[in-house]
Amino acid sequence: MLCQLWAQDYNLVVMIESVQFKNFKVLRDAELPLGRFTLIVGPNGSGKSTALQALTMANWVSNYSHGRIVTAGSNELVEIIINWSGKSKTLLQWSPGSTGRMVFVDSQGVPLPINDRQRKLLQWLNGVRIYSLDPKQIAKEMPLTPQAELQPDGANLVIVLDRLRDQSLERFDSLNEALGQWIPEFDRILFETPYGGSRAFLLRTRKGHHKIPAAELSHGTLLALAMLTLAYLPDPPSMVCLEDPDRGLHPRLLRDVQDALYRLAYPENFGESRKPVQVIATTHSPYFLDLYRDHPEEVVIAEKTDLGTQFKRLSDHPHLDEILRDSHLGEIWYTGILGGVPAHT
Amino acid sequence: MKIAIFSESPENEEAIRIIIGCLLGKMTETARLPNLQARGWPGVKGSITAVLRHLHYSTDAEALIVVVDSDDSPVHHLSHDQPDGADLKCRLCYLRTEIARIQNQLKPKAGRAQIKVTIGLAVPAIEAWYRAGIDPQVAETAWIQGLQSRRPPYSRNDLKQAVYGTPRPSRQLEQQRGIKEAQRLAQDLNLLEKLFPIGFGSLARSVRSW
Repeated sequence: MLCQLWAQDYNLVVMIESVQFKNFKVLRDAELPLGRFTLIVGPNGSGKSTALQALTMANWVSNYSHGRIVTAGSNELVEIIINWSGKSKTLLQWSPGSTGRMVFVDSQGVPLPINDRQRKLLQWLNGVRIYSLDPKQIAKEMPLTPQAELQPDGANLVIVLDRLRDQSLERFDSLNEALGQWIPEFDRILFETPYGGSRAFLLRTRKGHHKIPAAELSHGTLLALAMLTLAYLPDPPSMVCLEDPDRGLHPRLLRDVQDALYRLAYPENFGESRKPVQVIATTHSPYFLDLYRDHPEEVVIAEKTDLGTQFKRLSDHPHLDEILRDSHLGEIWYTGILGGVPAHT
Repeated sequence: MKIAIFSESPENEEAIRIIIGCLLGKMTETARLPNLQARGWPGVKGSITAVLRHLHYSTDAEALIVVVDSDDSPVHHLSHDQPDGADLKCRLCYLRTEIARIQNQLKPKAGRAQIKVTIGLAVPAIEAWYRAGIDPQVAETAWIQGLQSRRPPYSRNDLKQAVYGTPRPSRQLEQQRGIKEAQRLAQDLNLLEKLFPIGFGSLARSVRSW
């Protein structure tokens, strides 16, 4: 009975099933398939970041002009079509010489009036966040602002942590426990007020209880803490896009990174009752890719072709099992057999 | 006894240590080893030479236990034990052959006996061992018959779902559940040997003979 109830509830969970691009920057004619969790691998300049950027444009469609986003050398209509799990679509369009417009359409392309459902989808799109974390920004002390959220570069982490401690102590304790598992030399996040109205954080060492200021922590520790914090938020964004979450971390920590991202995407597996967050991560790391061998449906290969970038689910690759056999997925990807590698290196 | 354990994933190590301790009837002592880890079967295959060399030259380890998953590879058969019968696609045969070759190349070291090495083959994955005695359908015979008919009775993800409640268990969950199941299995290792006579049975017989 519980399973049925959960399944019914799950059907109501908003998710983007795919995004189609036409004449949008390097994405001349491409469709990006998405699941609750998606890992995109591909060469530099293949449009991974561009695809993520498109997802944040819905609420600011009129801020972008056609000339700024159209594929270089083209003067055609630019379209981004967001295909929702409920079969409706959100269409973003830019005609030559104009700014953009956004409409909701049904599965047949018929425009829909703005109702509660569409308003919820807009609100959902407003919650799309792209993170490209920067250790220096993560470590920054910040003025106390109650509603501040984690910035794309990781700034405001101290404010988010402070709020988590004040409003969800249990979660904050769980975050401390998880941090201790990732980086065993630390056991607690502490705070200080360097000057009036500001906040800074420190990590306490397990041995000796020394307090290490954020600015003195290693880059890897700061990146790990920012990702962990996202995973333990009671109200995370509707969609989290993380660029290169493996960056700056020891390969052995990547399994923990995977767990943190799965905590966001599959909260029910971690005893969480909140809604799933749709997660998209990009990577160039064969080690990180290795972790998805048992879930090729979660991996998308971005491949540069003469026609522009194409996205393909790894699980759609013919003879994948026969090709992988006794090899690491990352190694096989590196060879180029699966695509998604630079053309001439 | 100083025993090193090398498996596909560090999350399984404590569970393996519990089972080995029970087979030996005494607590095992961890050899002074770096924190050995492999990334799946390709990692074990690629690192076994270095691990054996390290144990031989740089530690006082007396034994090495290697546990790998069979995945979709051919499962060991009695015929493989005949002279010239080894099938190198079988992971047990491959590792036995490779380990014998490596040990033959090691230079003798004063005061050091050859390290005892034994291999466990979890068919098709260690989660199948964890289901022993719980799910009557999970057994080596069922898997082998499934491989022959090209209709495996369950997948690795099915086993994960059954053991952890999800095909995407966290590290912590894998460790905790592994320890819990190993403690349960330790009460009756004969059951595990009966259900997995090749992959676990050969390991159990070898360890008991030490």
